[in-house]
Amino acid sequence: MELTDAGLVARVLVDEDQHAYGELVRRHQSSVRGLLRQLTRGDIALADDLAQDAFVRAYKNIRSFRGEAKFSTWLYRIAYNCFRQDARRRKELVGINEEQWQTEQDSQTVDPGLRHDLMHALSLLPLPERSAVLLCCQNGLSHDEAARVLDIPLGTVKTNVLRGREKLKKTLAAWVQ
Amino acid sequence: MKEEMEQDWLDKKLQEAVPYIEDDGFTARVLQHLPAPQVRWQFLRPLILVAASALASALTYVLSDGGRFIIVEMFRVATIPTVWIVAFALASGMLVMAGGIVAAMSKTSQIQP
Repeated sequence: MELTDAGLVARVLVDEDQHAYGELVRRHQSSVRGLLRQLTRGDIALADDLAQDAFVRAYKNIRSFRGEAKFSTWLYRIAYNCFRQDARRRKELVGINEEQWQTEQDSQTVDPGLRHDLMHALSLLPLPERSAVLLCCQNGLSHDEAARVLDIPLGTVKTNVLRGREKLKKTLAAWVQ
Repeated sequence: MKEEMEQDWLDKKLQEAVPYIEDDGFTARVLQHLPAPQVRWQFLRPLILVAASALASALTYVLSDGGRFIIVEMFRVATIPTVWIVAFALASGMLVMAGGIVAAMSKTSQIQP
């Protein structure tokens, strides 16, 4: 029987079981790396470095995980903090690497033209709105969970999601119709 | 209604736009960067306890003139009323059980994520 995230965390806590932690990384690497790729506007190398840093930090601080939120929400928060610290250190947000971004995407499910426009529209959103939209609309977090990840009030998350959605709809008006 | 449909469409497209990212050695790289597990010395605890008990017993035996006091105390215990012995056994049992419950509760709160 497959262990739940909580069971794996318990193993890491009690036995410092790195294999159990490896399983947690395997389960969540795609979503964390995906989120960071979007936050860094497609800089895959930077996003993967940040994701690695986030998972190592999560391991070192796993005792502070109290189970009040889902493990994935707790991970997103660490990943988002890594991103913010890095962005602050660079004092500029990373540029768009559209070409690399496109080659990484799977072209089976969404029209490539639509995906291009969608990603471009997302990258044009201000960071607070982009983060809120990515967490709530793309990763399926509730507003409450997103507020925890972003460490901002619930009302601000709702406003950012609403504004972000409106802007995306405006930019993608031709596709929506 | 239209707005709700547009919202659903947008969320769906956003979710579809991010495919599953293959691991490609990412997990292995993370595991390489984890700090080494601390050396665990718990197995030494019972050894230390047994050694300390043996040492204390040996010292007591030597210092008490061959353990003669044990015989004296055995006679004394034999004269204690049975009710007292039963009460003592019950109290000891309760004490050990309480200790066990406290230990179990503290361990549970430690591992509960």
